[in-house]
Amino acid sequence: MSLLVVGALSSLTAASTYALMNTESTNVLNTASSGTLTLSNTVNSGSACFSYGAGSTGNTNPGCDALFTSATLNYPGTPVTAKVKIKDDGSLDVGTLSIAMSPCAVAATPGAPAPGGGNPCDAAGDNFALQETDSSWNPTFCWYPDYSAGACTVSAGTLNYFSTNAPPANPYNLSLGYPSGPVHAATRYFQVIVQLPTGASNTLQGEAAVFTLNWHIET
Amino acid sequence: MVKLKSLLLGLMVIGAVAYFGGGGTFASFSAETTNPGSTIASGTLTMSDQVNSGTVCASAGAASANNVNPSCASALTLTNLAPGVPSPLATAKITIQNTGSIDASHFYMFAAAVGSSLSAALTGGASITSLPIAALQGSINSGDSILVTYGPHTQTFVAGAAVAGAATAIPVTAQNANFAYPIGSTVTDTSGNSLPNNTLGAPLTSGTSYSSFTIAALQGTISAGDSIVLMSGVNTQTYIASAGASPGATSISVTAQAANASYPSGTTTFVDISKTNNNCYDAKTTVGGTAGSSQGTDLNFNPLTGNPYCSALLLYVQETTGGKYYCWAGKGSSPETANGMCAAPISVNPTGAVSSGVKSSTSLPVGALNGNVAAGDTLVITEGSKTDTLTESAGGDAYFGASSLTVSGTLANSYTTAATITDSTAQGALNSDTTDTISNFDTAHNGTLGKISLYPVTANGTVSTTNPVQLGNASSATSTRTFQLGVYMSAPSGTNQNPLQGLSSTFGITWHLDQ
Repeated sequence: MSLLVVGALSSLTAASTYALMNTESTNVLNTASSGTLTLSNTVNSGSACFSYGAGSTGNTNPGCDALFTSATLNYPGTPVTAKVKIKDDGSLDVGTLSIAMSPCAVAATPGAPAPGGGNPCDAAGDNFALQETDSSWNPTFCWYPDYSAGACTVSAGTLNYFSTNAPPANPYNLSLGYPSGPVHAATRYFQVIVQLPTGASNTLQGEAAVFTLNWHIET
Repeated sequence: MVKLKSLLLGLMVIGAVAYFGGGGTFASFSAETTNPGSTIASGTLTMSDQVNSGTVCASAGAASANNVNPSCASALTLTNLAPGVPSPLATAKITIQNTGSIDASHFYMFAAAVGSSLSAALTGGASITSLPIAALQGSINSGDSILVTYGPHTQTFVAGAAVAGAATAIPVTAQNANFAYPIGSTVTDTSGNSLPNNTLGAPLTSGTSYSSFTIAALQGTISAGDSIVLMSGVNTQTYIASAGASPGATSISVTAQAANASYPSGTTTFVDISKTNNNCYDAKTTVGGTAGSSQGTDLNFNPLTGNPYCSALLLYVQETTGGKYYCWAGKGSSPETANGMCAAPISVNPTGAVSSGVKSSTSLPVGALNGNVAAGDTLVITEGSKTDTLTESAGGDAYFGASSLTVSGTLANSYTTAATITDSTAQGALNSDTTDTISNFDTAHNGTLGKISLYPVTANGTVSTTNPVQLGNASSATSTRTFQLGVYMSAPSGTNQNPLQGLSSTFGITWHLDQ
């Protein structure tokens, strides 16, 4: 009887304590990498400004070059143009490119001897147009004011209207067909055009319009 | 009387001679047989692991010399993932076969342990201050126990510093090597929940309140507030460490709590589940997802702290053996969907032109499905600026590998084979899923806790938990099982995913058989 008990214990011990046969394999180094969605912004012949570059926060760069400076003086009926290249610098295609304008504010032109007291941001103020072009800067589509293929009718639009209707809370979607792009590594070309109306009042002399354009992309 | 005594003695002598010597002296007949050369041969329990149609990876013959192959091929190498966009390549087929002669009664899957293998031999008897390794899978904390194994030889070192994923050396507290460990010896961080290497040094009595445990010399490090799980047979209990403990400590202080069972010394193991398995680790990409594009290292808004991409990427493991489906991990498991489907989003092309018009339970031929489509799911078909939606018809569950969908709805446009079909229902379910991440899989399903027992699948969404064989021997019809491993980068509504740009997660999956 004693022998039987010892035998039973041995059996149980063997089953629970001693290693049985086993085998194992591991699939290692599985990797999954996310892409990037970043853009660069180049004004005229300036340096490319990257969304993630110096001065940026969270893929937003508020410090890119200004389109115009107060050194560029406007005259009635004479448009001034800034050329802007928006490039998808990331690895993912852009699904939506949009633009928004912060509220336009009037300021005295630095050095102006006698500001006229008018406001170029008013409805009777500066004309404004957003023109898309090909890489040679030939007009392809007018986003504002015409919203049609070809060149913009600059005199038909105003800073006042655009800033009111394309604020940051309601950006203007620059989609044209699908994919709206630019796709990765591709560039879209725009001209931002401003002019004093041909019949501008003297009150707009010596007055400057100050505004900010935000370019925004999403997948 | 004397004569009688002599006679009796004489008879005894004769009897003795007859008993001991008769065989050789008197026998006329004899017979004899011999069973020579009997051999007792043990069986084998080995396995193979194949990714898609790649090279078969065998457990036997691996450099570790212990029937463990810690370096089978990676299943996934995915680049340029975007939130909410299913990749056609985001899944891989893994075939596991019992190549031995013995049935496996248990077949497990779990997160790979933190570790690697020696990339250079250790000299027996030499003082070792650094372990040269192939790229480290996971990350190691200072003070972790690092187990080196080659066949029956083992030695535990203590990490002298934290080591990041992909590192090729582990600094350790100086110790003489107890064996000449060759290249390929396995290196495992046993402090990462991967092995039950800590035991009680004194028993706990059921119902008695304890504020400290006596333990065998601690392997690893415990921090105040860590959750300590005791395990003995079917009994488990979690205590909270009230103070830290260093390697070699013989007691742990815990918040007082009555033992819910009797826990014997020696055989009661415990693990610190707060020391999560850091198998999955993140790094910034050093190559752009496309030629010339920005890469992770260019960006300043994608910190690696806490392995955020591992914590966001969703993982699923879908069994597909023999046309029977079961979702072992991912959305669709726990509780298991009745149809056995993981939420595995598809991205496929039609294999023929698709005409516009009304579809009513119409068969739509597509490339082999790289996911699942459940009846009732909304399908989106797009090509250029065109897009339409269809519905997978009732009873039309379509699983991995299916070559057609059964759709209903009205197409306003016609499409070519360049169109893409996705499942917005599956994607929607995953976009709000924060549970089935790789990090959570690592924590919940590591080598110690939560190993997933891969019971035989008897029907879609149904397993047999009583079948004594989970992977039959090589000559059986049940020796092979197939799985689809996949990931998806979710796009949670209203959440900016910029911090996940340009990151790469690396992780491993382990398959284990027991006799």
